[in-house]
This record gives sequence, C-alpha cells and structure tokens, in this order.
Amino acid sequence: MYTSTETQAVASRVTAQVAVRRPGARRTARREAVFGYLMIGLAVAFVTVFTLIPILVSLGLSFFSWDVITPPQFIGVKNFTRLFSDGQVLSSFGVTVLLAVGIVVLQISLGLLLAVLVNSRKHAWTKAFFRTTFYLPLLASTAAVSIFMGYLFDAKFGLINYYLGELGLPAVPWLVNPVTAQITMVLIVVWQQVGFTFVLFVASLASVPTDVLEAASIDGAGTWRTLFRIKVPLISPTILFATVVAMINAMQLFDQPFIMTKGGPGTATTTATISMYQTGFQNLQFGYASAIAILLLVIILLITGVQFLAARKLVFYQ
Amino acid sequence: MTGSFGLDMDRRTLLKLGGAGAALTGLAALTACTASGGAGGSGSSGALKMLYFGQQSAATTLQKALEPQIKKIDKSASLEITGINGTDWNDFIAKVLTQIAAGSAPDLVSVATEGLQQMAAKQMIVPLDTYVTKDMSSLQSYFDDVHPALVESMMYQGHLYELTDSFNAGSMFYSTNLYAKAGLSAPAAGWTMDDFYNNAQKLASLGSNTNAFDWVVRLWGSWTSFLYANNGNLLEEGKYSGGDWLWNKAYAGNPLAQGRGGGWKWGQPTANATPSVEALEYVIELQRSKLSPSPDVGGGGTLQGLFASGRIGMTIGGGFWAGGLHNAGMKTGSFDVAPFPTWKSNKSLFGAGGYGIFNTSQKKDLAWEVVKMLVQPETFDIVYPGNVTTPARKSLMTADRYKTTGPEHWSVFWDQLNGSVPISAPPYYQALATSLNQRTTQALSSGNAKAALDGMQSDLEKAQANS
Repeated sequence: MYTSTETQAVASRVTAQVAVRRPGARRTARREAVFGYLMIGLAVAFVTVFTLIPILVSLGLSFFSWDVITPPQFIGVKNFTRLFSDGQVLSSFGVTVLLAVGIVVLQISLGLLLAVLVNSRKHAWTKAFFRTTFYLPLLASTAAVSIFMGYLFDAKFGLINYYLGELGLPAVPWLVNPVTAQITMVLIVVWQQVGFTFVLFVASLASVPTDVLEAASIDGAGTWRTLFRIKVPLISPTILFATVVAMINAMQLFDQPFIMTKGGPGTATTTATISMYQTGFQNLQFGYASAIAILLLVIILLITGVQFLAARKLVFYQ
Repeated sequence: MTGSFGLDMDRRTLLKLGGAGAALTGLAALTACTASGGAGGSGSSGALKMLYFGQQSAATTLQKALEPQIKKIDKSASLEITGINGTDWNDFIAKVLTQIAAGSAPDLVSVATEGLQQMAAKQMIVPLDTYVTKDMSSLQSYFDDVHPALVESMMYQGHLYELTDSFNAGSMFYSTNLYAKAGLSAPAAGWTMDDFYNNAQKLASLGSNTNAFDWVVRLWGSWTSFLYANNGNLLEEGKYSGGDWLWNKAYAGNPLAQGRGGGWKWGQPTANATPSVEALEYVIELQRSKLSPSPDVGGGGTLQGLFASGRIGMTIGGGFWAGGLHNAGMKTGSFDVAPFPTWKSNKSLFGAGGYGIFNTSQKKDLAWEVVKMLVQPETFDIVYPGNVTTPARKSLMTADRYKTTGPEHWSVFWDQLNGSVPISAPPYYQALATSLNQRTTQALSSGNAKAALDGMQSDLEKAQANS
C-alpha cells in the first residue's frame, strides 16, 4: 500500500515520463487539471456562498443586537446568555428534538420495512410500481403538502374526521390538541420523507451478496433471522447515512408546523426554526435569532457526532 | 490516481486560491449588504416604489391608474407598485421587513393599524404633520368625510403618520338563511351577549353540520371582540398628548373629535385581568358547548369558505366580508350584519389602513402627492375593487355601493365607529400577535384561560421591556 507521499511521487514520475514521451501531454494534463479544479471550484464556491458565508455571518451577527432598521450594536455574548434563560426558546428546542426523534425512528423503520417488502416481490414491475409510489410524495412541494394536509386533518371539516364520523367514530382533534398535533406532524413528515430512506434501502438491500443469503438459508436461518442478522448488518452503513440525513432534516423542521398550526396549539409544534423565524422576522431581533441558529447548528453537529460515534460499534463495514 | 490533477499546483496552493476566492465572494457579499442595507429607498431619480398589500395584478391596475396623474405633477416621474401577498397583516409586515432587510426599502408602503406604531417608533415612516398643515385647505374635504376615530388611530405621539383610506370594524355577520331555518329574526339594535348566546343555541339545534359561531385566532376580530365588549383590552388604554394642531383645524367644532389626542398609547399589559379571562373563558365555553368549533389561526379564508357554504351561523367580520362573501358565491340577502353584541359595554374594535412615506425615501414630496391621490374618492375602487374593505370616507358608503354585494345593514360598519377603540397594536405588535396566537390556542386546547393568559401577560411584559 502506498502512502500519500509515495503516491504523489509515483504520480509525478509517471507524469514526467509521459511528458518525456509526448511533448503535448503536459499541456493536456494541465488542461485536465484546470477542468478538474473548475469542477471542484464550483462546488466549493457554492458551499462557500450559500453555506459557509451565511454561517459565518450568522455567527458574527449573534454577537450584535440588530433590528434591520438601525445599525447593529455589538453586545458581546448577551444573546447567548439570554438564550439559555429563555424558557420559550429552550422549549422549542425540546419540541424539535422530540419531533425529530419520532420522525427519524418512524422514517427509518418504516422505510426499511417497506424496502424489505418491496424487495421480496418477484416481478420487476411491482417493484417499480412501489418504488415510484413511495417516492412520489417526496417530489411534491412541502408547502403544498402542508396546506393539503391541513385541510385533510382539519378538525371541523377535514376528510379524515368526516370518514371517522361515517364509521361512527368520534372526531379526533388532530391539530388542536398538543399531543395529537405533534403526532400528526410526525406522521405527515414521515409520509412525505419515507420515500427517501425507502429508495436508499431498496438499493442497498439489492446489493447484499446472494451467496451470503444462500449460505444463511442453507444454515437454516428464517426470514426474520436473515433480515436482522444478515441483511441489516450488511446495509448498516446505509442505515447510518439515512439516519444522519433524516435527523439533520428533522431538526430543521419548519414548513409543516408553520403552515398547518403556526407552531400551536400553544407551543406544542413550535420548533427551533419557527422560534428563529418569529424572533428574527416578526420580532426584528436578528442578532438573537442568529444566536438561536448557531445553537441549532451546534446541536445538529453534536447529534451527528454522537451518531457517528455510535456507528463505530453498530455499523458493519464489509 | 493521485491527489492532484497533474498540474503544478499543490494542495496548499489550491487552498490559498480557494481561500482568496471565498474572501472575495464574502467581501462582495458584505459590500452588497453595506451598499443596500443602510439607505434603502429609491434614489432621487427612478421610479417611486410602493408596496401594496394584495395581488400583483391589482397592484399593476393601480399603477396604471395613478401613473398618468403622477406624470401631471412631474413628467419624469414614474410609479412602480409591487403587490405583496400575505395571509394577514402579520405576514405582510414580515415580508415588507424582509424586503427592507434585503436592502430594498420602498418610498411608500401600505401600513395598517397593526404596523403603524411599530414603523413610526422605529422611524421607518415619517410624520405627515407639515404636509397636512401645508395642504390643509385641499384636505379639508377629506377630513370632513372621515371619522376622527380613524384619523386618531393613525397618530403616534402627537404626529399623524397616515391618511387612512379604509377600515374594518369588528361587526357580527350572520347567515340570513340559517337564521330563517332556526326561526330567528335579525338581531335587534342593542342586542346583548345573552341574545347572542340564545341565537347560537338555536342555530346549533339545526344539526351537526351547522356551527352556530366561528372565528379566527388573531388580534383583529377574534376573542378580542368579546374582550372589548367586556370593557377590557390586552393593554392599558391611553392617549398620547398632542394632536391639537390637527383637531383644532381639521375637526374644529366636530363633536366626534372631542377628547381626541395624539394617538393611542398602549400601556401596561392587562392580558390576565378579569375582563380578559372572562372573554377567553366565554369562547372556550362556546367550544365546550359545541356552539363553536376550534378556530383556525390567522387568515380567514377557511372561515369565509365555511360561511359561504352555509355551515356557519354567525362570525365576526368587517366591511371586507361583503366583497369576500360575494366573491365566494353568496347572493345578496343571504347574509347580513349587525353591531357586535353588547356585554358590559358596547365597545368594539377596528383596524384602519393607509400608506406611510418611508424615511429613507428621496422622493418624499412626490410620495405625499401619491398619498393624497390614494385618498381621493375616485381612487378607492381602483385600490380596493369589489368591497374588499370599508371606505374611510363616509360619502363612499352608500346603498348603491352595497347593492350588488350586500349586506343590507351596511351602515353598521360606520355607526360602530362611535365608541370603538382600535386594535391594541403597540410598537411590539409582532411579539404581541405571536403570543396571542400561542396563548389562545393553548387556552383552547387546555381549557384553562387563566393559565394561558398569565403566560401571555408574562410574554407581553417581556416584549414591552425589550421594545
């Protein structure tokens, strides 16, 4: 195995030999290199402009008091000290974590279950049908889905309560009771997002070596044992990836609760991002809103870090 | 593969170049922020920019109607009106502020009672005192036509910030069809909360598809209407001193102008005072007794749809409901309006609208000319086609106006202004609105009005301290 220095040395020698053999090779290599850097450059520029700079600006702004209209005033760490004593904002972080855990657990387990079921289908067309069906909600606009779901789950005239009534069942206060509102929110997000994890798992399950499955079968492993002892460990890197992505998305939950409940009833669905929006764009405290954003970023980083640490023991790399 | 692309550029050089690029991009972004964030508004040349609360199509129509008149004043001037949609004023204000934050401040902006004190307190809009004083003779016909309560609601700390062109008072709309089915006659003048409750019970007896009463959680016309009728408010009511410069000239000898001041001064929060608790408990009780369903938060589209489809007996609405219900397919005569029922008082609420001139505008004089155009009688139907709000000018409130849309008792809108108080929108209105939404839904879901209002009291005290 080469070290990186050795690799570079070998590459340099090869490049040099090529240059000796063909006079135009160096120019070609240079052109390719420029093209390569351009490709990387685009991604770097995109991430810099749309992620890195906003994060840095937010970080800077979190040390200021700024209402958009008057010039920002430096106030040191006051926004952060206020943040850690602001019960409402801290409660929004609690709501965020609660909803995120519910969403991730359900999204991963349901995605896996659906993927296993679809993979067990023999006909290719049924697999294609289910793959498309489960993925479709992901393509819909979250705002449109939220408005639609708001009507569907409306306690007064919603279709769901209407059919419950037809069945002689009592109406459920889907979005007007704190607990049911949180559960409804989780269900709606999972309904829309499960297609993502499902597609990942379908692809990953398809790549599980058949000889391993055959060996397990010969050894007498049943369906469940094969699933939990063979398939799940083999696709655990995909599960880790899906969990991390789902958790990051869930921690930034905004559209659904904002459109459907405005964060209510009470503060039952007021997530950290809604809190951030209200602080910044409604109360005109952009410095404080930036502090909330920075705290959310740190929490997401911490959770992601914990997930990777746990993965060291739980994820099996072939 | 190696770590490089074969060019004589090592990783360190790449990082240096990347860093320089990022720094340049950042610098460019910061420059952009500095250039646009501070000043805002259009320069002394270019179009006069106006933000309008509504569809862009309506904004364009208005622009086409006003531009020829502006050209008469200044041939080189032009008008650019941008329509901004929003579910309610809260949403609209947030979008306007976002636009300002992005460095694109307008010259003129549509501002309702909800945002007036906030914008005035932050000196985003300028007082019109000198302009009004200068043009008092030409404006006298306007003041003669407009209720002083509406003008006072556009004042802050003794200064007038807008000439109101529209308002909406919280009256009680009712379905005449459902009233007839329930064997009810139209509410009598001076009807009380007991009458309201009895009517609601009879409407509820029509069946589970009928909601006797429905409402929306917001500051204007929600349980706050009950609070006002209960002689309470979310904040202590007071008046700023000043304003004599206007009252003594524009409203000299007008008895309705007696006791007017320099605008409404919203004092200490009284969110958990007895009248507030009683009012919120009243609407909770309506829900508990199945006389009212759980209300939506913000906007009124769903409520309007339900009312238009004959599923709601009564709801709180203003003049805007006339056009709204007509556009939703309701025929004239299928709905009517009554004043809000009397409880411990007959105090009701209203909100008014108008246009404020931005402090950063380089064309304030021209903007003032546009403000005057906007309050001309002939402009009203261009700005607000189809009775989607109530005209501030009494002369525009005629039977002919409401002939096609209804309601029959349209005069209620104006009559209710006597003894009414504007919605309590202090400079920290946004925080108040957020708390009102959260605490109201908390009370409705928990059934505990007092605990929720204690929370609101604390929210408002904090918001007031931070403002």
